[in-house]
Amino acid sequence: MSAPAASPAAVEVQGLSASYGPAAVALRDVTFSATGGQAVAVLGPNGGGKTTLFRALLGELPTASGSATVHGTIAYVPQTERSRLDFPVSALDVALMGAYARTSWYRRIAARDRSLARVALERVGLAERAGTRFGALSGGQRQRVLIARALVQDAGVLLLDEPFAGVDRTSEEAIMGILDELRAEGRVLLIATHDVEQARGWDRVLCLAGRQIAYGAPAETLTNAVLEGTYGEEIVMLDCGHRAVAIQHHSHSHNH
Amino acid sequence: MRTIFDKLAIVRWLTDPLAIGFMQRALLATLLLAVAAGLLGAWIVLRRLAFFAHAAGTATFPGLVVAAPWGVAPPLAALGAGLGFAGLLSRMTRRGATSADAATGLLLTAALALGTILASDVYGSGGGVDRLLFGTLLGLSDGDIALAAAAALAALLATAALGRTWLLTGFDPASAPALGVRAARGDRALLALLALTVVAVLPAVGALLVSTLLVVPAATARLLTASIGGLLGGAVALAAAEGTGGLLLAYHLDLPPGPAIAVIGGGLFALVALGGGALRVAR
Repeated sequence: MSAPAASPAAVEVQGLSASYGPAAVALRDVTFSATGGQAVAVLGPNGGGKTTLFRALLGELPTASGSATVHGTIAYVPQTERSRLDFPVSALDVALMGAYARTSWYRRIAARDRSLARVALERVGLAERAGTRFGALSGGQRQRVLIARALVQDAGVLLLDEPFAGVDRTSEEAIMGILDELRAEGRVLLIATHDVEQARGWDRVLCLAGRQIAYGAPAETLTNAVLEGTYGEEIVMLDCGHRAVAIQHHSHSHNH
Repeated sequence: MRTIFDKLAIVRWLTDPLAIGFMQRALLATLLLAVAAGLLGAWIVLRRLAFFAHAAGTATFPGLVVAAPWGVAPPLAALGAGLGFAGLLSRMTRRGATSADAATGLLLTAALALGTILASDVYGSGGGVDRLLFGTLLGLSDGDIALAAAAALAALLATAALGRTWLLTGFDPASAPALGVRAARGDRALLALLALTVVAVLPAVGALLVSTLLVVPAATARLLTASIGGLLGGAVALAAAEGTGGLLLAYHLDLPPGPAIAVIGGGLFALVALGGGALRVAR
């Protein structure tokens, strides 16, 4: 599988506000740009606008104002438990879904796409699980299958929704390795996450809490003030499943 | 000698009825409906629309009751009643105060009650009610068989053309747009095809037993396979086998065919479910 070649992948968002209806604006004042090879952590509390931003980038939400421009094919990598785990589909079937958009309704999926899907599964380390039912895989393996599906789409821009949620250590390392490779190939990664500590490892961090709180390199951006602005009173609401680094930051700032 | 005689008897038990004209006709209809209801049933069961499909079938009952007195073709009357059901359901659930399953159950009951009152007190339909509720697989018209053939053809074409859309929309709807799949269009086609299939199945198994062909074979196949192809093929094969078995049973024991198919289908599902449970325990 080759990196997207033609035009370099990029995301440009200018003064974006997006809403699910005229009543409430779910996200406003978002301005950032990311170019090929950059991984952007998208931080924020539940309801902070991470999903709204993704849906706006996918063109599924009307933009109330501003603009969101995506160069390159865009792929969405959802949380794996959002899908129906009881469905009779194999890992290969799911990877092949990445070829649906370029398959005419009256045709079978092309042989070339079938081999692309196998290569993609091999890349995420699941070649020998191709025939396994998707729901029978572990959370981390399912996440890798969904990344393979994005590879079959040959996406230049990948939107990943909590790719490390409910994932075991081994899969976490495997996924981290794949994401590093994808970044090195010049793809743009937007990674929605609750994990502040992990966000420090990416190239950029975008903090959302109904609006953009901050954007920039993690070292300068992730200050206590920004984290408080992002998570505010909701610190206590961080689920136990997520590493509650933000809580520590808060307790620091309160204890000092 | 005895064993050969027994074998012959069994073969003749199977083949003799099928030499008779009306049985051949019923078999043809059964096989056509097995293709239509098996394929569509697989998608219905996957998409968790089984209860909706069952209720849509039952909701056609008042339409069927008024068809003859009003001089409307039964398939059209059934379609009208079914569309009325779907329209009311979407209206009742729009505000979110009434859940879809509660509204479905309510409308199903209302349709059954309305049909019964119309049949007994308004039009005095008498013995015809049984046929409307449980079908007359042994007395189908040419039009019924043509409708079954049309439904089978439509199910085959739609599965080929829209199978991927239906699969992805059911499996991972949030990703469907990003993967280039138009979920809403696929869903509209699925509901339209469900309407056609229900109307085609009605003359054979009646308003109350639509699920016999539409849900039961697919639900059984679901227990037996972990692939989409297996589910589609399995549902068609089971619908055909259960339909044929029900026909033979009805012929020999002088039973109404619709209920006979329902009993075989239900029994087979129970066997497979229990067998699968036993296998899991054994492992």
